[in-house]
Amino acid sequence: MNIIETHDLCKQYGNALRVAHLDLNVPEGSVYGFLGPNGAGKSTTLKMILGLVRPTAGDIRVLGKKMDGGSRLAVLRQVGSLIESPSYYGHLTGEENLRIVQTLRGVPEKNIREVLQIVRLDGQRGKRVAHYSLGMKQRLGLAAALLGYPKLLILDEPTNGLDPAGIQEMRELICSLPERFGMTVVVSSHLLSEIDQMADHVAIIREGELVFQDTLEALHGRSRHHLALRTTNNAVARAILQEKSVPCQEEGGYLILPILSDEIAAQLTRLLGARNLGVIRLEERQKSLEDIFLELTGKAASL
Amino acid sequence: MKLLKLEFFKCRRRKILLVCAAVLAAELLWIVSTFLRQDAEDLRQGWMLLLYNLAMVDAIIMPISVATIASRNCELEHKGTTLKLLETMAAPGALYAAKLAWGALVLAALLMVRWALFMGVGILWQFPGEVPWGRFGIFTLISWAVSMMVYALQQGLSLRFANQAVALVCGISGSFLGILSLLFPPALTRCVPWGYYGLLSLVGMNWDPDTRFTWFYWEWPVPTDLVLLCLWAALFLVVGRALFVRKEV
Repeated sequence: MNIIETHDLCKQYGNALRVAHLDLNVPEGSVYGFLGPNGAGKSTTLKMILGLVRPTAGDIRVLGKKMDGGSRLAVLRQVGSLIESPSYYGHLTGEENLRIVQTLRGVPEKNIREVLQIVRLDGQRGKRVAHYSLGMKQRLGLAAALLGYPKLLILDEPTNGLDPAGIQEMRELICSLPERFGMTVVVSSHLLSEIDQMADHVAIIREGELVFQDTLEALHGRSRHHLALRTTNNAVARAILQEKSVPCQEEGGYLILPILSDEIAAQLTRLLGARNLGVIRLEERQKSLEDIFLELTGKAASL
Repeated sequence: MKLLKLEFFKCRRRKILLVCAAVLAAELLWIVSTFLRQDAEDLRQGWMLLLYNLAMVDAIIMPISVATIASRNCELEHKGTTLKLLETMAAPGALYAAKLAWGALVLAALLMVRWALFMGVGILWQFPGEVPWGRFGIFTLISWAVSMMVYALQQGLSLRFANQAVALVCGISGSFLGILSLLFPPALTRCVPWGYYGLLSLVGMNWDPDTRFTWFYWEWPVPTDLVLLCLWAALFLVVGRALFVRKEV
């Protein structure tokens, strides 16, 4: 079952279509990575799912219910969120901030202590949030999202502003949520490596359009192995390969060939030698996830 | 009710009491310094003089005070970008209503304390004649109603613009226009929202240029002005609420 489904979701600002005909399907119990370069439309999409931004067109279903004016708040009782920067009252303590969320969600008071322990802020609960570091504010935002132990957690760039240790800690916490509390987590990021370490399902968005949506395994499946050959005369070598029905294309001074068996590769090098061509390089290569991301988004892996 | 209680909770350490105390202190200082300059003959109409001056002082002090109180309450939502969290748990219209109700209660408390304070001043000064408990009560109610109309405008601005300078400049301009409008003909004063502090005063004044003698008399607000006050309030409320509810966070 999909916990979030969007159909033909669009958002237009002026003449610019920031989110274009998005069909997202988030499986229940997954950690769903929502990946895209900065400005691709990730936050706008997540805000539309939460009803904070009105879609120009399209449907959204969360937990099997259509999100509209009447049902929005009832559905959101089972959804926790942390969108962009964390929300907080700087003049109140961490515990007081969570008390506001606890009162609005109508959940037991003991949840405050529990979530503070989960995000390891229990030692700082009496300190005013204005005096928290950015990482602590981020963890407080996560605590507020976790407070009602929701079925669905939507986290928009949750590692922003964290130091490497904080990123690692946040990553481990996110990965543990489906197993510990049966939550589905949607986590957005512009960093492929981050999603690669957390998610089991991935959607990639580029300029508002969905360019990939499947399991992380399927994304890895796209990273095909190939051979790269460089000779003293690539043009003649290419003609020889075509003569022998070996498909190839030239790329950056190399001839790119499919993976060949050891026997055929040996025959090929002998043939090239016999035709007075020197083999300078013959390498086995694999497309990295970054290359795939670059291909899909047309941008660098981290922007 | 839950949201209203939370408004009070959120305003902890926001020094709202200090703001209210400063408003009362400024009004007290103004009135006492005015009375100290009056002779015994002027003080024969002490209660009327008090209410007349209070209406004038309100026109100057209340617009900026109301703007400050509204800003103290609304600014905290901008500072911590909390609306994107709150609006996943409560409807924007309900949040707007809770803030307005909070303002109504704070202003009611402020004006009731002022009522007690200035009744005390009049009694201690031993103004002649019967103590006008009822008229002072009605004056307090009118001050509250005008302040609520101004509060609706200020809340709309404070929630709409993250930069609170916009709302505070409006409050300062209101203070200036409030007192200036007392010099306008009534038809023009009715077009100035802050002018209603003076327009709905319960005390009128006559000044004879020949004898240079001033005397005060009791009067009641014109019903049309009360209707216009409600219309101004409704306008600020509807526009402010619509802008807040439609705003995407």
